[in-house]
Amino acid sequence: MIEREAQFKLMAYLDGELSEPETVEVREWLARDEEARALLAELQNTGAVLAGFEAGLKLPETREFFWSTIQREIERQERAPASAESVSLWGWLRQHLAPVSGVALLTCLLALLLTSPGNPAANGVQLSELEMASDDVGAYTYHDQQEKMRMVWLYDREDVSQFTGRGSLASMGPE
Amino acid sequence: MKTNDHSSTSDERLVEAAKKGDMAAFEELVARHRDKIYARAFSMMRNEDEAVDLSQEAWVKSWQRLQQFQGDSSFGTWMTRIVINLCLDQLRRRKRQRTESIEEMDEESGGVERQMPVVTVNPTERLERGELRKRIDGALGQLSHEHRTVLVLHEFEDMEYKEIARTMGCSIGTVMSRLFYARRKMAVLLANLKNEELK
Repeated sequence: MIEREAQFKLMAYLDGELSEPETVEVREWLARDEEARALLAELQNTGAVLAGFEAGLKLPETREFFWSTIQREIERQERAPASAESVSLWGWLRQHLAPVSGVALLTCLLALLLTSPGNPAANGVQLSELEMASDDVGAYTYHDQQEKMRMVWLYDREDVSQFTGRGSLASMGPE
Repeated sequence: MKTNDHSSTSDERLVEAAKKGDMAAFEELVARHRDKIYARAFSMMRNEDEAVDLSQEAWVKSWQRLQQFQGDSSFGTWMTRIVINLCLDQLRRRKRQRTESIEEMDEESGGVERQMPVVTVNPTERLERGELRKRIDGALGQLSHEHRTVLVLHEFEDMEYKEIARTMGCSIGTVMSRLFYARRKMAVLLANLKNEELK
C-alpha cells in the first residue's frame, strides 16, 4: 500500500508539478515499484479519458435564441442604471434639500425673534424655556452675551407654582 | 454592420470593435465561443438549464467588463474564467444551503477510493464516442462538486495546483487531495460501470 504523501507525489510527478530533484527521485521509485507504476497508469488513463469530453458538449439552444436572450439582458441592464440614477438624484434632493430648507426656516424665525423689540436677547440677554422629554421636569436657559455665560436651570414642574411665587428667574443669579 | 461581415474577423479585432459598442461584433464572439463556455458551465454544474443560465450571465458580464480585457490571455480564456467564477459562486451559495457531504468527510479521513486496488485495465477501451461520453458524464455526476471542480479546472482548463488553490480559495494540499481522490473515484466508477455492463 502506497503511503498518502507518496501517492500525491506520484500525481504531482504526472502533472509536472515537482522540482527536478523530486522528479528524479520519483523516476527511481517507479523503476523499482510495480504498484507505483500501476497507480501512475490509472491516473494517466483518467486524464486521457477526460481529454475529449467537453468537445462534444453543445449548447442546446440556437444561435439566434441564445443571442437574443443575452442582448435583451444587456439592454435591460444598460437601461437600469439610468433609471436608478434619476431615482437616486431625486432621493438625494429629497434627502438634502428638505433638512436644509428646514434649517433655513428655523434660522429666519430665530432671527426675527432675536431682533424683535422688547426681547431681552436683543440687549445681549436671552431667556428661553426648553422642551424636555419628561413632562415632570422643566428647564430654562439663560444666556448673557456680554458676560459670555449660559445657564441651564432644571426644575420640578410640581414645584413651579411655589418657585414662581418666590420671585422671578432673573433675580436668582448664576450659581 | 451585419453579423456575417464579422465571420472572417479575428477575435482581437472583434473585441476591439465590441469595446467601441459594436454589438454585432460581440454577437460573433458569442457565436464562436458559446459551446466552450456552456461546456465548462455544464461540466461544473451538471445541470443543463443552470449551465445555459450561467453561460448567458457570463456573456452579459463580459460585455459589461470588456474594457477591462487587456488581451493578456486569449478572449476565450478570459471568458472561460468568467464563467468558472460564476459557477464557483453558485456552488458556494448551494453549499451554504446543504450539510457537509459524505465525500467531504471521506476526503478528511483518507477516502475509501484512496485505499482501493488500482484499476489496471482501461475501462473505456474500444468504446464509441457517444457511449464514452455518457459513461464519463455519469461518473462525473457522482463526484462532489468540490472534487469535480478541481478535476475540471485541472483537466479541462490546464490550471496548475496553485492556480486552482487561488481560484477555489483553498490550500494546495487540499487541491492535491481532491484531485487525487477525484481521479481515483473516476477510475473506480468507470470500472464499475463496465463491470455492470458485463453482468
